[in-house]
Amino acid sequence: MTRPEGRLAAAPNADAGGARAAIETHGLTKRYPRVTALSDCSISIPAGRISALVGPNGSGKTTLLRMLAGLARPTGGTAAVLGGAPRQDPAFLADIGYLAQDIPLYRRLSADDHIRAGAHLNPRWDDAAARARLLDLRVPLGQPVGTLSGGQRAQVALSLALAKQPRVLLLDEPVAALDPLARRQFLATLTSAVADAAGDLTVLLSSHVIADLERVCDHMVLLTASRVQLCGDIDDLLAAHKVLVGPRKDTSALERAHTVVQSTRTDRQSTLLVRLAGPVLDPAYQVSDVSLEDLVLGYLGADAAPENAHLTAVGENS
Amino acid sequence: MSWLVWRQYRVQAAIAGGLLAAFALVLLVTGVQMASQWRSVLSACTADHSCSSLVNSLSLGNHAAYDLTFLTLIVPAVIGLLIGAPAVAGEAETGTSSFVWTQSVTRGRWLMAKAGWLLLAAAVWGGCIAALVTWWSGPRNALYGNAFQPNDFDLQGVVPVAYALFGMALGIAAGALLRRTLPAIAVTLAGFIGVRVLVAEIVRPHYMTAVTTYYSVRSSWTPSSGSWVLGGGVVNKSGQLLAVPDIVVNQGGVPNVILGVPVGDLPAPCKALVHAAVGSMSRVTPNGSGAPMSHLASCIASAGFRQFTRYQPISRYWAFQSIEACIFLALAAALVGIAFRTVRRRDA
Repeated sequence: MTRPEGRLAAAPNADAGGARAAIETHGLTKRYPRVTALSDCSISIPAGRISALVGPNGSGKTTLLRMLAGLARPTGGTAAVLGGAPRQDPAFLADIGYLAQDIPLYRRLSADDHIRAGAHLNPRWDDAAARARLLDLRVPLGQPVGTLSGGQRAQVALSLALAKQPRVLLLDEPVAALDPLARRQFLATLTSAVADAAGDLTVLLSSHVIADLERVCDHMVLLTASRVQLCGDIDDLLAAHKVLVGPRKDTSALERAHTVVQSTRTDRQSTLLVRLAGPVLDPAYQVSDVSLEDLVLGYLGADAAPENAHLTAVGENS
Repeated sequence: MSWLVWRQYRVQAAIAGGLLAAFALVLLVTGVQMASQWRSVLSACTADHSCSSLVNSLSLGNHAAYDLTFLTLIVPAVIGLLIGAPAVAGEAETGTSSFVWTQSVTRGRWLMAKAGWLLLAAAVWGGCIAALVTWWSGPRNALYGNAFQPNDFDLQGVVPVAYALFGMALGIAAGALLRRTLPAIAVTLAGFIGVRVLVAEIVRPHYMTAVTTYYSVRSSWTPSSGSWVLGGGVVNKSGQLLAVPDIVVNQGGVPNVILGVPVGDLPAPCKALVHAAVGSMSRVTPNGSGAPMSHLASCIASAGFRQFTRYQPISRYWAFQSIEACIFLALAAALVGIAFRTVRRRDA
């Protein structure tokens, strides 16, 4: 295993200077009496994107989403969602949609009840679209949601969140409990909603299912151990990382030029996940592209190694 | 918001309405019977001037209905436990708070609507029950003069409405602070009983300075019917309360207490009369009888010993009701304030 040294360079941001950020945090921190759930989190998510929030369990994904939704207060740093701090203000609340991890709904109330409640609770409410979407998916509207399947419940919750016509949608592992088909339907609903919103809907979606994220997301935030490791456009992140395969040898020269995220070694061969800072000059290495899954696993694996506990945040937007 | 509150509680509302209707039916039927019985008994006793002895001969009120009215003592606690405690805690526990708190309604407005309707419902429901019990108990209060007694006082008038609001507010606040339904229920139950007992037993007798009436050891006196007697005893010439021991009769047939006065406290001239007084009685009782006894009694009276009764007169009934209601309303308001502060400030 290799120690990535020092602070990594900021992630390239395709929209830097271009589109405004829908979500922007600086040093966002949440400490509880016993644990620090999120530490010094600085991210920027451009408007109109679907951003994947990736990280192992307990890495602070839920805490970040809850703070962005205004459900929890930061103990340090700042968060700006659509230009303002998350707050108890009807206008702010109208602009955000939030879907908690366990998809909580009133179990005894039906989807229809929820839709009617939403109509009473929100200034903008697309009643017809929510009903049409659920009817389309054959979700019974009149049945208590407690009796629906997990996939149907998730669709109800997503339809409710979308009916608000939010400008920022925060989804906390919404597909975790769903079977592959329900997952695909859920994500299809999500992507079509983003397409319909024509750039005025930004989604931050946490999930463990990287294949799903790859299909729907074009931006990624990677958290490990309460810290941000990566934040940027997925294409840029993939372009900035390479897998190097070469003979087993001293990598210190390579490490001076680039950042080795993770290395695995057999007796004769080394496989290195490297964040490039320029071309790889050593001809001994065979350079190949990295898949999103390998990239994510590389960072998660690096974090799992105890000697990398000091790994510092990357992706800070200067 | 009100729509959602109604949708969440319409089943409970229907059950509460059904229970109230059944309760009203029982009380109306038995109450009308009792009222007509009372009217006829009253006109009969007025005719032959025997009304003062009615309380010894007449039993008023259906027993089952009376037990039912007594059960209403727990109504405010039940409101707090079953509806108040889960109001916020249940949403936090099931996570529905994160659904409702991310709609376009601030948490403050959410709680205002939810707590507001629940408190109103508690006041109306508790108030209807209290009104029925108050009406039903009218003839019994007149006959037994018990309206001011603990337990009866707590069931009638305006205090049950204040208790109901207190119970609901306590449940909501406990739920907001603890966010778990079962602990909130436990705290609500303990808190409700604790505060109610504390106020009823310790604070209530002191809302107004009790009236103390002194009277001769030779006479008996009771305050106007319905007054709440807090205590009594015997004082000596200088107004000191005498510590009266348990009554013991010695081998000579002489009791240690005569007319409520310990024999040891009697002046010598009166003590000299004790043996004769006791000897004159066929049966030794602390109060005694016969001429030597009356000599002794006048000796004790002229030595300055007086009986007294400390009580809250029945005329203060509504003042006491109002004071107690205000106490519980103030507690309820403070608890609602705590609930608001907690829900608005703490992380969801």
